[in-house]
Amino acid sequence: MRLLTKLKSLVAAAAVVAASVAQAEEPVRIGYSMSLTGLFAQAAPSQVNAFELWKDKVNAAGGLDVAGTKRPVEFVTYDDQSNPANAVRIYEKLIAEDKVDLLAAPWSTPIHLALAPILSRHKFPMVGNTAASVQLREIAPGYIWFPTAVIPDRVGEELAAFMKSKDIKSAAILSNVLPLSQEIKSFLVPALEKHGISISVNENYPPDIKDMTTLLTQVNETAPDAVIVLSYPADSFLFAAQAKELGIKAPFVLSLIGATFGSYQQALGESVNNMVTVGHWSPNQADWPKAKPFFEAYKAKYNEAPDALDSVLAYMSLEILEQAVAKAGLDKEKIREAVSTMTFDTINGPVKFEGVQNSVTPTSFLQIQDGSLELVWPDSVKTKDFRPKTGW
Amino acid sequence: MSAQLLFAALVAGSLYALVALGLNLVYGTLRLLNIAHGDLVMIGAYVSFWMLSLFGLPPVLSIFVAAALCGGFGWVIYVGMFRKLLATPALAQRLEANSLILFYGVSVILQNCVALAFTSTARGYQYLNEVHKFAGIAASGNRLMLFGVALALCLGMLLFLRFHLFGWSLRAVIERRDAAAVVGVDVDRVQMVTICIGFAIAGVAGVLVSMTEQITPFMGFPFTIAAFVVIVLGGLGNIFAGIVAGFALGFIETFGVALTSATYRSILIYGLFVGVLLLRPQGLFGKAIKIR
Repeated sequence: MRLLTKLKSLVAAAAVVAASVAQAEEPVRIGYSMSLTGLFAQAAPSQVNAFELWKDKVNAAGGLDVAGTKRPVEFVTYDDQSNPANAVRIYEKLIAEDKVDLLAAPWSTPIHLALAPILSRHKFPMVGNTAASVQLREIAPGYIWFPTAVIPDRVGEELAAFMKSKDIKSAAILSNVLPLSQEIKSFLVPALEKHGISISVNENYPPDIKDMTTLLTQVNETAPDAVIVLSYPADSFLFAAQAKELGIKAPFVLSLIGATFGSYQQALGESVNNMVTVGHWSPNQADWPKAKPFFEAYKAKYNEAPDALDSVLAYMSLEILEQAVAKAGLDKEKIREAVSTMTFDTINGPVKFEGVQNSVTPTSFLQIQDGSLELVWPDSVKTKDFRPKTGW
Repeated sequence: MSAQLLFAALVAGSLYALVALGLNLVYGTLRLLNIAHGDLVMIGAYVSFWMLSLFGLPPVLSIFVAAALCGGFGWVIYVGMFRKLLATPALAQRLEANSLILFYGVSVILQNCVALAFTSTARGYQYLNEVHKFAGIAASGNRLMLFGVALALCLGMLLFLRFHLFGWSLRAVIERRDAAAVVGVDVDRVQMVTICIGFAIAGVAGVLVSMTEQITPFMGFPFTIAAFVVIVLGGLGNIFAGIVAGFALGFIETFGVALTSATYRSILIYGLFVGVLLLRPQGLFGKAIKIR
């Protein structure tokens, strides 16, 4: 399957090269490492698929615009086995031995954090994608940027404001002990208190939890208006199935990671209708004209919807690189200058960086509404109104 | 509310008991530490997903497909890897330790083959997810089916070991391998059939799990660990005690969490595991209970 895709893109690239004999250019080589095996492997396809889709689009349009010259694109990739130390070695190799022209980002916060010093040392710019932590801000600005709007302190504050606007008076918080969940919770709890929302249950659980009966019974006993589950994929599935079984009645239910996966709705169907989750992109946002075509192209190629977080961030990171290279060419310092100062037009609307952070895209929330993901907060980007959860 | 907790404990316990049963049979008769056991559960889960997605075959029927496929895989592994090694006593001695590494290899190969073939994108499907309410319990159909099938298989296996001639041979090989051979038990055949049964049970467990969990190539490892905890609690190779220990673990986990906090789940389970290894290495039920 993958071989076939590779062959297809090779043929496409060859056709492009043959067609433009006058400008038979050397390909632009973009290197990246990906967690194809190991702990994070489950997340890899959503990102690799987006990269491949971008490459197809660029090559079909005659190649990457390098300051006026169109050159075909090829990827140089390695598996980092979900290990940040491997990823560091791989990026050193990509830069020093493979001498790639550009870099694309790997998956996950720890690997992004581990790479930042390497990029600074080699003065090699890279647009990050799937990283989310307040620790990102501690990275010295310069050679890495983060388009994400899922930064835990903002998520905590915005979520509390969102809940307040829906007249939520009390909330139960169930949180995985893994870092992103705990980081968000540390900002959410004070924000809820600030907005006068009482916390009826505040419990942690381990990542390998297999049964939530006790936790959900506690939630049911306090009958809160909102149930906020700061979950990772496996427990997102578990929570939804058991919430249905035990009849959780809150009108506002949020599940953190996993609810944007295609398999989530496949496995849980109607019961997760009106589930809220974290994310800042919807194909239905008409103000972002590139959003829908990206969604359609992804669906046509992979026969599943893109992940509203990882696939979108991965694609955005390459769109940003593409636009920077069109202006600056392949000179690293010029690319750095371009990424730091330009405003980019992406599938997620305009993006501009201040320091390492995207200063335009607002921290937003999505809701599953009749099978599609709609932005429901904040008002500036929303595609549909929030709907209370009425059953499972 | 305790009825609901009781139900949760029974469901968890029956799954632990079933997954551990397959591992225990293979360890008991062949003295092989099958660290790839959880990956057979994963294969079963994928069988169920693809049978439903491609052919519309419901999981209740996929159980047989998964059992046949995983059982067949057991046969291939036995004939291809272990038959000769087990027939030579000197090699068989070392095999118990080596099997851990051999099966680790099998585990890595299985995970990555599945990831290559189907990608590591999580999968899931809906089956029997309507909620039934009775006797103060709310239960989704798929968890009821999980409990029913797992319990039936565990009891069926105990009856088979108690009343069937082949079951007697199997017990004989577990208890006194050499003596069994002397009195005319075809040890090779018993071993081959047992590894097929053990693998098939893991496949069936996979089908059951796939109805309630997301399916990924890397979902198997927690089941391997849980199964090892259970058979160490029960006593390695002690089939009946293993089943009892599976249910015990389900109860300890569910009620332990209810009495303390969910964050203590892992500490409870592994604390018990280490405690038993230190204080009663022969297992909680040790010699007190024999297979009957």
